[in-house]
Amino acid sequence: MSNPDLKPELTTPDSKPDPEHQKPFGTNDADEEEDGDDENDVEDEEEEDVDVFGEPDRPKPRTREDKFRSDKLKMESLLRRMQSGPVSLRVHDVIVKGNTKTKDHVIAAEIEELKRVGSMQELLKASQLVNLRLRALDVFDAVKITLDSGPPELPGTANVTIEVVETANPLSGQIGAYTKAEARSSTVEGSLKYKNLFGYADIWDGSLAYGCDHSAELSAGMYLPRFKGLATPVTARAYLLSQDWLKFSSYKERSLGLSLGLFSSTYHDVSYNLAWRTLTDPSQMSSRPVRRQLGHNLLSSLKYTFKFDQRNSSMRPTRGYAFVSTSQIGGLAPDTRCLRFLRQEFDLRYAVPLGFYRAALNFGISGGVVFPWGNGSLSRPSSLPERFFLGGNVSPLCALGGPTALWGFKTRGLGPTEPKRQVHGENSDPSGVDFLGGDLAVTALADLSFDLPLRWFREKGIHVHAFACAGNVAKLTENEYQNFSVQKFVESIRSSVGVGLVIPTSLFRMELNYCYILKKFDHDRAKSGLWLTFSGAS
Amino acid sequence: MEAEELTLVATKPSFDLPTACPLCLPVFIFLKLAHVPFRLSFNSIFPDSDQIPYVESGTYVAYNNKNGGVIECLKQDGIVDLDSEFQSIPDWISIKAMINSWLADAMMYELWLGSGGRSAYKIYYSDPPWPIGKVLFLKQVYVVKQRLGITKGNAEQREDEIYKRANIAYGALSTRLGEQNFLFDDRPSSLDATFLGHALVTLHALPDTSVLRSKLLEHDNIVRYAEKLKMELIESGSSSSGPQFHSVPSPSAQRKGPSNWSKLLHLKVIFLYFFLFLLLIS
Repeated sequence: MSNPDLKPELTTPDSKPDPEHQKPFGTNDADEEEDGDDENDVEDEEEEDVDVFGEPDRPKPRTREDKFRSDKLKMESLLRRMQSGPVSLRVHDVIVKGNTKTKDHVIAAEIEELKRVGSMQELLKASQLVNLRLRALDVFDAVKITLDSGPPELPGTANVTIEVVETANPLSGQIGAYTKAEARSSTVEGSLKYKNLFGYADIWDGSLAYGCDHSAELSAGMYLPRFKGLATPVTARAYLLSQDWLKFSSYKERSLGLSLGLFSSTYHDVSYNLAWRTLTDPSQMSSRPVRRQLGHNLLSSLKYTFKFDQRNSSMRPTRGYAFVSTSQIGGLAPDTRCLRFLRQEFDLRYAVPLGFYRAALNFGISGGVVFPWGNGSLSRPSSLPERFFLGGNVSPLCALGGPTALWGFKTRGLGPTEPKRQVHGENSDPSGVDFLGGDLAVTALADLSFDLPLRWFREKGIHVHAFACAGNVAKLTENEYQNFSVQKFVESIRSSVGVGLVIPTSLFRMELNYCYILKKFDHDRAKSGLWLTFSGAS
Repeated sequence: MEAEELTLVATKPSFDLPTACPLCLPVFIFLKLAHVPFRLSFNSIFPDSDQIPYVESGTYVAYNNKNGGVIECLKQDGIVDLDSEFQSIPDWISIKAMINSWLADAMMYELWLGSGGRSAYKIYYSDPPWPIGKVLFLKQVYVVKQRLGITKGNAEQREDEIYKRANIAYGALSTRLGEQNFLFDDRPSSLDATFLGHALVTLHALPDTSVLRSKLLEHDNIVRYAEKLKMELIESGSSSSGPQFHSVPSPSAQRKGPSNWSKLLHLKVIFLYFFLFLLLIS
């Protein structure tokens, strides 16, 4: 813990004046100016008796108005110099104040850029970047950066003072709605966070999430921005997840696991997941393929996600494109009895603005494949939870990540099926089938959205859309790939069209659609009519 | 019920038995005694399931945790019944109760507690991945203690009681059996299947130091009865009068090592992901 009486100083290794002595920026005395707001403050500090901009012979102002005029002239002069070219400058000293709890090295890691600046312009940019980074740690209520002149014997240098205000209330809570592609539905999540418990800008959280697909998750996580000098933050999450698929596939899934975020950047994300997963069938009505998969499995997998989203909005994209690719390999453990599989999915979206009533045409195509690996892999079935299931009450437009939903089709509402167990003497459901998902899935969508002519609707963001979608799943494992043909796959594609009203709220996007099923097969759970979908931010 | 082949899903084979689980082996023997053709399939990933063993044919499934067990389900559903003529015999109920309570408790005790649980671990938990198998094993030991009413205070007393009852049951069954081939009228019944399953697991799966095993060995006619029927029903295999069966390993069973081509492919995939990861973090 930092001693508040000491001012931790971070000095630059090279504090020599510029040998060319082009346009030195130096002041004799340092004095701080403070303002009360929390905006990104980068100030030049000036003092009445300061010589600046190489003009030591300027007469000293006596009245307040004179001082104001003098300051204004100095600022204009500085701006002119900065516009004409780089103003040579080095950082002599970085002083951090206010971190009573946060460790020095955590802050030091975020302010590295300040040491490398060579000009006033670079210093301003670096200060802004450092300010954003410190705020992004989410453990400070305010961050203020003040620029000051360096020692008088070292012209062309500056001192930087960083004042942080550590969060007064480390405990916070929030509730939100999200759409997770892997959950295939929207979830409502409530979480509690505790910030900076150990002074490493660590964030601890506990959350409870409930999904529209009858899933519930209890989890606790930790976020460390700087761990052992790693440039990327480390996240760890322990979770207990329960998903009820009894109605659709006659099994319940429960997972107890640990997820580690190994690497995360703007476009790339690598995570490792270790989980004990159990599939059970309390109803004892499952079909044969599901019965064979009931039991315990150890999942040890590495997942890599590449996400490039240049759309202007994920909830109502009107321009831009996005591409997501997710690769997952399971079975990374010394124990060969772990679940072994390879899973790859991708999603490509493109939004074209049409130039009237904020209209846009959205296109999307997504696909995925999964298969086990190991000896005799293709003669064995793929793991049931890893397969692709299409359908659900989430809008395909918002679910970016892989093949998930189709308008008009219920959760897990299409694809290979198998009859459930029949019990003699009981009224058995003649349409009792289990949806088994597929090893290969492809979906495509087209969506035209535009504002309504009435101003009230436009102000609320309520708009209409017309859409069309198509998709299919197929089995490849258990040697079914030998019977697979592209023609048969295309011929068995399901499709639907429709129109609807989109109502955005602060938590989610709600769609009230009329869907018309163009093509479906016997056991598919799809119907033409009114549908309500809820989608959170993905 | 559709006329499809029966499949018995049981725990994997071990100790030279087609399945060493004392709940699964009686069902196997029952189907053999009834000369019903069936396939044998294994489930190695759900050792703590009370639904296993189960028999399935098409959409028909007879689970072990329903209606008194798989054998009773098959009888009630009219699929296989060896007991139609024995129900009226006065000793039937008492011997059935003795086998299904005293001997079942003795087997449960000896398998999980009496012999240190080594045999039970090998029968049920050697296939699931180690941490899962270990945790489930410890959980099952706890459940067995609860079911048998064993506490720290009464452990010795309960053990004596269990062995004593088992001994009485062995004596009664030995007397009942005599030198016959089966327990009742020299014809097979479901009680033969149940008792034979118990005897074979006791003789072959329990260690030599097992108290229960030593008590069973005191009755020569039971040992002869068990070994003779084992040879006829299990080891003979391709007898013309006996049913054929095909064992189908569960999808999770890893029996053979990977081929060279598969090994190379696996290594390539793993290295590809590893290098990708290194590239990203560098």
